[in-house]
Amino acid sequence: MNGTFTALELRRVLRDYVSMFFIAVLPGFFYLIFGAAQTYGSEDAGNGNVAMYIMISMAAYGAVTATTGIGGMAAVERMQGWGRQLGLTPLRDGSYVAMKAVVALVIAAVPVGLIYLLGLATGAAGTAAVWGLSAVLVLVGAAVFAVYGLAVGLAFRTEASVSAASGLLVIMAFLGNIFIPLSGTLLTIAKFTPLYGYVALARFPLTEGGTPTGGQEPLWHAVANVAVWATIFVVVATALVRRGRQRQ
Amino acid sequence: MQNRDAAPAIEVRNLVKTFCGRADPVRAVRGVDLAIRAGEVVALLGPNGAGKTTTLDVLLGLTSPTSGRAEVFGQPPRLAVRAGRISAVLQTGGLLRDLTVRETVRMVASCFDQPRPSEEVIARAGLTAVATRMVAKCSGGEQQRLRFALALLPDPDLLILDEPTAGMDVSARRDFWETMHADAEAGRTVVFATHYLEEADSFARRIVLMADGSVVADGSTAEIRAKATGRTVSADLPVVACAEAVDRLRKLPGVADVEVRGRRVVVRSGDSDVVARALLVEHEATDLEVVSGSLESAFVALTMAAGAKEVQP
Repeated sequence: MNGTFTALELRRVLRDYVSMFFIAVLPGFFYLIFGAAQTYGSEDAGNGNVAMYIMISMAAYGAVTATTGIGGMAAVERMQGWGRQLGLTPLRDGSYVAMKAVVALVIAAVPVGLIYLLGLATGAAGTAAVWGLSAVLVLVGAAVFAVYGLAVGLAFRTEASVSAASGLLVIMAFLGNIFIPLSGTLLTIAKFTPLYGYVALARFPLTEGGTPTGGQEPLWHAVANVAVWATIFVVVATALVRRGRQRQ
Repeated sequence: MQNRDAAPAIEVRNLVKTFCGRADPVRAVRGVDLAIRAGEVVALLGPNGAGKTTTLDVLLGLTSPTSGRAEVFGQPPRLAVRAGRISAVLQTGGLLRDLTVRETVRMVASCFDQPRPSEEVIARAGLTAVATRMVAKCSGGEQQRLRFALALLPDPDLLILDEPTAGMDVSARRDFWETMHADAEAGRTVVFATHYLEEADSFARRIVLMADGSVVADGSTAEIRAKATGRTVSADLPVVACAEAVDRLRKLPGVADVEVRGRRVVVRSGDSDVVARALLVEHEATDLEVVSGSLESAFVALTMAAGAKEVQP
């Protein structure tokens, strides 16, 4: 691990104010509007209240926005010649990936920290286990979307494609039951989309499987969703890395 | 400077690199042999697609050869890179636009075990005044000098420059080569790819001419000129040359090329006397002119010859 390199990478991302707005400020604002400002926010939900439920959802949305962007930009940067520049140094691929992972984790922690602080200040309630476990699950699960961003970056090789991948997260977030509680056929379809399992897993310490519409979902649904999508992203990204190598 | 190394700076044996394209495989490098001693300043000259960049990429460990062998100071390229013995100024691209000049240097420096101090290489590359500027706001010349600063970080014994002055204006180009001159005089081995003939001519002591993935000539500037033996004979004909007349000129011994520009014919040939005689006597030409080969015509003659061989394998 190389401290200087990692610190400079972090500084680079943090001073990209536009990205940081979409990663941290916007989900924070969403929490205040959809969670803290609503009367239903203080209603009970599982091991806490509804504000807590919305807080976790928005933190998760911010975290995946961060990791998707960082994963995608890592791929684009490397293919636009920065990889060649680093290839002229003793830096190993493994160290590079590890440093990017640290950067992604730290940046993903920004919206989580901000929104959890907002939650604390505006009446989100839950047991200590809910606060702690949900934060960890949000951060760890967001790594899956770093691979998603990476795959898109590798496939399309442009900064615009990475922006599109982040934009697509908004649709996934709707289908992932993040912005509004879905029901009926739409909910059935939604259960198979990438963000659904991740957010359901992050909210599990709070809900223990209970849904906003009064239903009950077993834990394995969420775990299976995350596992399948993680596998798909990893397989696609690996295939794309191989393709890139053959062209060299 | 004394050559303390037993191993040559670069040794390439029968290097072949084939890219698997969508349709046909592209044979970028087709059996290159090359040895460069420590302390030499060598230009790798050739038209686009000659295989220059691919050959350099193999030497830098950025790509692996399909077959053949490449060693840098007796080591595999990747090990030589790790040891900081070889470094390069790459072609355009390869910088992060949202870092400052100083941050870029510090970031790349952090990847080496014992780099030169960042401020020192910034000063050497003449970037002190723009050290806090974002890369995105740097001119093409400044970005190129930044790549040069990065190449200096490991204090390499061998410096590779791939089209180092592409996109620079005349004065930036002159400044760049002045810096490089100082470096070469200090004993660094320098190998640069270029398609600017005057750069190869004025800076390198040895020229390796590549075309179609092979080395077609290798020697001093003077030797390359001699090798082409090209002279250009031009003259005005009484009437615009007909196909039959052109054909007759083409069949003369040593003629490489015949060009018709209105009434004037331009003949490139290894034996200018024969051409001159034929033009004056048989074709009743006037205003005859014989120009001896420049490096440029040598370049054209040698690379064209390689192209011709390609057509009839």
